[in-house]
Amino acid sequence: MSARPALPAPPTFTAGAARVFGLSLGEMLWSRRTVFLVLVTGAPVFLALVARIVQGSGVVPLRVNGAAVDGGSIFGMMIWVFFLRFIVPVLGVFYGTALIADEVEDRTLTYLFTRPIRRGAVLVGKYLAYIVCTTLVVLPSVVLVYFLLVPLGQVGRTFLAFAADLGLLALGLAAYGALFALVGAALKRPLVSGLVFVFGWEQIALIVPGYLKRFTVAHYVQGLVPHAMPSDGVAAVLQSVLRDNPPAAVCVLVLAGIVVTTLWLGVRAVESREYVLDQ
Amino acid sequence: MTKHTRLFLFVSVGILVAGLGTGLVAAYVGGFQNLNFLGSSSPDELAYLPSDAKVVAFANVREIMDSELHQKLRAMAPRNDNGMARFQEETGVDVTRDVDYVLAAIGGENAVAGPGQGHPLIIARGRFDTVRIEGLVRSKGGTVEDYKGVRLLTVAEPTGAMDAALAFVEPGLIAMGAQDAVRKAIDARQGGASSAAGNEELVRLVKEADDGNAWVVARFDALSSAGQVPSEVLKRLPAINWVTITGHVNGGVRAAVRAETRDEAAGKNLRDVLQGMLALAKLQTGSQADVSALIDSVELGGEGKNVSLGLSVPIEFIDRLASLRTAGGLPPPPDAPPAPEAPPAPEPPATAP
Repeated sequence: MSARPALPAPPTFTAGAARVFGLSLGEMLWSRRTVFLVLVTGAPVFLALVARIVQGSGVVPLRVNGAAVDGGSIFGMMIWVFFLRFIVPVLGVFYGTALIADEVEDRTLTYLFTRPIRRGAVLVGKYLAYIVCTTLVVLPSVVLVYFLLVPLGQVGRTFLAFAADLGLLALGLAAYGALFALVGAALKRPLVSGLVFVFGWEQIALIVPGYLKRFTVAHYVQGLVPHAMPSDGVAAVLQSVLRDNPPAAVCVLVLAGIVVTTLWLGVRAVESREYVLDQ
Repeated sequence: MTKHTRLFLFVSVGILVAGLGTGLVAAYVGGFQNLNFLGSSSPDELAYLPSDAKVVAFANVREIMDSELHQKLRAMAPRNDNGMARFQEETGVDVTRDVDYVLAAIGGENAVAGPGQGHPLIIARGRFDTVRIEGLVRSKGGTVEDYKGVRLLTVAEPTGAMDAALAFVEPGLIAMGAQDAVRKAIDARQGGASSAAGNEELVRLVKEADDGNAWVVARFDALSSAGQVPSEVLKRLPAINWVTITGHVNGGVRAAVRAETRDEAAGKNLRDVLQGMLALAKLQTGSQADVSALIDSVELGGEGKNVSLGLSVPIEFIDRLASLRTAGGLPPPPDAPPAPEAPPAPEPPATAP
């Protein structure tokens, strides 16, 4: 009687995550959700293009209190209003919560979990795919907006702020994505919870005086922004004077902590939770 | 990974690399000279100021000169620019165009000039004609020396009536003030003495004030000992450590004054005092609609040790002032150039009888 050939050893956690990453990246890039992603990140590029054309025709694209606003300030405003306040958290919610929830909804989670890799590696691999997919769409969009709005002569002067913008957007995407990956892995209706967190809790906590803002991701992301917050009126000035932005190093450490902690908790949740697929 | 995915990654990474590369080259070619206010929200020039500076002030001259408010004020009260023209002729520096921003400090150890405040030191960033300035200093009997690798121009009189120095500390950056202050500034930058950049409390306050195009951070005792605050007011004020004034000049003026008191009780007291003063001001200006609107725009805030006052002067208010002046409500500015006399009307041609 001949002995059975030994089964190949299961891949390590890292190798498993890398396999899932390779598989998920293509799926994520060419999914319907990416159409939404392109539309959302394409809107600022389109607006910047319009502003550039208007400026080229000799008309000032934006005035505040009658004074012309230069391209660099418009860029800073777009980073605040479009990217930080909307695009980054929304992408975090939509993609992060879907990492596991989509597989549950499509009833394909079983196929992933029956592979000889740890369940946690599935989440980590998908999370890495999310990071690559979103940063490689969002950051080039910011680059295009920057070069459309900021005159070439001012590029040297504003380059560090621009580089800081790219870094903080990547960090913001990572932090929101990890947080909502945990939400997606742990809760039954993660999208609703995510939207409530981003458009309810964070908005309220940021304007309420006191320490509540420390329990938001936005507080630490905004602490890294090199541009002045767009403000108009005394209330905005007071808000800017009274804001207690933590130091940049603290912001980076807290955001890194959020990524590591929530991802670890997400891995724990995926490995321990029993997912019941609807028949 | 499919061909499409690879193509997408290639294009995205290409845009990122091209953008960052272009920016890096542009910044490198520009000599990274104007990057001081980016990346960190406090100026690098703090490294020139003494660590125990009592007052630090900043003005973004470029922004203020270009502001709509400045243009309007110039139109309202045309200045006699002879002095400026003479200064430009002698130094080659057009203050309205060649100076980007100015940082000033008062204080520092062993400083005794002024009413107990110390030597003032001014750091200015801009475009300066070094040859012309050096020539001017020499023509006034000044001397030029090399101090720790920095060209230092000094003018001193044996009587002590004049003791000034100017140093070209970096390309496009000059330090001016008393000789001792300028030498100490060079020492501080080169690590030979402690600088304001190492004073964590001051750096924190400067960062908080840095969202305006002009700001002042001052130790309250520096203001009170200089006699800037009336003694009657001083007696009634609770203990204040630092005062920060931030202004943003553009179409109008937005300003915020923030005081940091010794403790929370003092903060509460100060808020109460200011609340009372605001109420009194509202009562007294109730009949004057314009002033009343201005007082109404003042907002009192703050929590704990911090007390803040915000004020907004819209451009419309400036316009109303201008219209009052043109209507004869206000006297004309004292330094306005006299209007040229109208030429005499030509005699009507004599008609032939």
